[in-house]
Amino acid sequence: MARIELNVDLNRVEGDLSVQVTLEDGVVVEARTAGTMYRGFEQILLGRAPRDAMVITPRVCGICGTAHLYAAVLALEQIWGTPVPPNATRIRNLCLFAEGLQNDLRQTFLFFTPDFCHPRYAQHPLHDAMMRAFEPFKGEVYRETLAMTRRVLEIVAHFGGQWPHSSYMLPGGVVTPPDTRRLIACRAALDELQRWYEQRVVGARLEDWLALDSADAYFAWLEQPVPASSALGLMTRFLRSQGLHRLGIGTPHMLSFGVGCDPERWGPSQDAHLMRSGFLDGDSGAVEPLDTAQIAEHVRHSWFRPYEGGRHPYEGETVPDYQPGSDRYSWAKAPRYGDRVVQTGPLAELLIGGDALLRDLHAREGAGAWLRQFARVRRVAYELQHARRMLDELGAALHEPHFIAPVPGSEVDGQGCGLVMAARGALGHWVRLRDGVVEKYQIITPTAWNASPRDSAGVPGHWEASLVGLEVADADDPIEIGHLIRSHDPCLVCTVHFAQAGAHAGAGRRLVVGA
Amino acid sequence: MASLLWLQTGACGGDSLALLNAVSPSLEQLLAGYSIELLWHPSLSSGHARRFDHVVDRILAGEQALDILCVEGSIVTAPRGTGLYDPWRGRGKMDLVRDLAERAGVVVAMGTCAAFGGVHAAPPNPSDCIGLQFDHARPGGLFAPEWRSRGGLPVVNVAGCPAHPHTMTQTLAALVGDLPIELDGLNRPASHFSTVVHQGCTRNEYHEYDIEESQPGGKACLFFNLGCQGPMTQAVCNSDLWNGVSSKTRAGVPCFGCTSPTFPRDGDLFRTEKVGEVPIHLPLGVERPRYMAYKNLARAAAPQRVRDKEMEP
Repeated sequence: MARIELNVDLNRVEGDLSVQVTLEDGVVVEARTAGTMYRGFEQILLGRAPRDAMVITPRVCGICGTAHLYAAVLALEQIWGTPVPPNATRIRNLCLFAEGLQNDLRQTFLFFTPDFCHPRYAQHPLHDAMMRAFEPFKGEVYRETLAMTRRVLEIVAHFGGQWPHSSYMLPGGVVTPPDTRRLIACRAALDELQRWYEQRVVGARLEDWLALDSADAYFAWLEQPVPASSALGLMTRFLRSQGLHRLGIGTPHMLSFGVGCDPERWGPSQDAHLMRSGFLDGDSGAVEPLDTAQIAEHVRHSWFRPYEGGRHPYEGETVPDYQPGSDRYSWAKAPRYGDRVVQTGPLAELLIGGDALLRDLHAREGAGAWLRQFARVRRVAYELQHARRMLDELGAALHEPHFIAPVPGSEVDGQGCGLVMAARGALGHWVRLRDGVVEKYQIITPTAWNASPRDSAGVPGHWEASLVGLEVADADDPIEIGHLIRSHDPCLVCTVHFAQAGAHAGAGRRLVVGA
Repeated sequence: MASLLWLQTGACGGDSLALLNAVSPSLEQLLAGYSIELLWHPSLSSGHARRFDHVVDRILAGEQALDILCVEGSIVTAPRGTGLYDPWRGRGKMDLVRDLAERAGVVVAMGTCAAFGGVHAAPPNPSDCIGLQFDHARPGGLFAPEWRSRGGLPVVNVAGCPAHPHTMTQTLAALVGDLPIELDGLNRPASHFSTVVHQGCTRNEYHEYDIEESQPGGKACLFFNLGCQGPMTQAVCNSDLWNGVSSKTRAGVPCFGCTSPTFPRDGDLFRTEKVGEVPIHLPLGVERPRYMAYKNLARAAAPQRVRDKEMEP
């Protein structure tokens, strides 16, 4: 038996990622994933004025700063009991969806599909069509994605002044009101993106595409020439021909913090979303209400001062304890829901939210790499729909307030959390204020859930599990690992605890024959 | 054909994502129109799993010319000066930056992190971050102040958090197109850092007549109470709008001075520090007694429509 240990440095993810896998006869038998960079954002926030989190935390991540801003503002509003006018929530949601549209399209067509233009696939019958659509900098869909994602980000700039890295949400609302000029300009950007999505990406009108509610209906529809030659149709046919709908399943449990906030029902002590939050128990198939008390982070295999079991983020600590060469191997903590490993992202969001097509596909085939990527492209339709609803509601309430200053004396000490569904999944900020400044700031990012190392019980994280069983054809160029990991839209820069993966990171491969 | 390699160090990726928003020129226009060969970009390159390693090996062996090295992100030097909190092949990535820079025609710091240390270098600077040739405002970072690249320039600081998309693509276009590059005292291209953010702000009429907001969400000026650094910060934000449509100050977000080596400053970022009623930091080059005399006159002269904040910013 040939046993090979590989270190694979992956790019076209946000940040630096190293995957360490052990292959036996070309099949992954064990995997460890580790981010390779440490910045210490949480420490930078300590002792600062609470609102400074609106400037500092968006800079955790260049691609999902709006989501961090949203989580940060919700946490302060929870602590202070700050009422939020509905128009502020509408504008926050609108900007979150615009950022999500940007992310989902850039991730799919700039980061994910280039994998399938690899020379390995030159003999595939779809290769020419794939290259025409997806070849980096040259393919039609690639170039159109650059133009379209630029356009949709104008929406964030109308309300936040710029994307990325603005600070336009503050406790009590947003800084810019809706007005006729902005609403019409945003609508124009949204219309343009929707037309492109309908014609180029899915090959159907939005309503017809969302009306597909079963696997049978979808596959029958995919036989027609227009959807078959659309960008999603092409990607689907190619990925399924490679068996990617059966690979990369990982944990069956899923987590969603709920899509956006409901403008009319959101405020202190209320929790309502445009699509529901919840925990999908992969064993029973049931969706349970979200219980944040179940969230705990383990450090048994991480380079932090050890503690027993898992700790809720309010009780958590982040004290570096770098021990290379021990059985601890990552700066990532291991978040768990109860004792369960979960995954999060668009698929979790839409399965828990109730998309019938995805539920049927999931019931038949499980959550493979193809379905995960397919869900990301399907979510674009929901983001377009939700964004349009926000614009319509803003138009109907044009003169209502967008900001209500917190009443004097309300900015008290205490603790609170802000939970949002970011582009990559469940994002939480847990904050404690004392003497008017930040005393504790803990962030659990979506990628922290997905890329988690082993926990106190030695149970591997989601990616680590999802890689096991994967066949790797060429250990020198293990593109299959890239396919699976990129289907999760990894964001390592976001996973703020992460630091280097160990002295051997990127050192190449060792071949141990007969081990 | 000019070759370009883009490296990310202690970064959030925001400069790369801002780069994708440029239109004049866009990244794809820049590459095609100026015949730039993109040797590597961490978010955009594809191909063989070890392509990056091969490119680096060839540059270091002298087999591949490197005309432009772009660095995005703070230079991480922790722990204890090893740089291993941001490693590459078992060494600090800062060593790789040093090696590549010695072979580069020109080195460009993309963003305030690479230029000055940036947000990661804010207290307590948990990963001991510095900039390429500055440590905050102090000359000397990874490289000494007198260091020059092969082409004779110090590190060109395209500052900003993130850097403005056009400040990035136009600086690269000027470098490749052999247009003269004049640098200011912080080694930023003077072409893009000789105007202040305040210039072109649509709240200027409020500033002019000293009509100031004390709470966010309003129409008037953010300078006196809400921490806006626009009059002290050099950048094109209000003369070349972000995403083609707006700027933070137009939208009502104070400028945080993100192109400055002191970004982010230590105090409350949404509050203007004052002595009595006067901000400690006044618009660039302004004398305090004259400024106050001017402001008092201006407030008295304010037309009713400005006092009543009828003007949409």
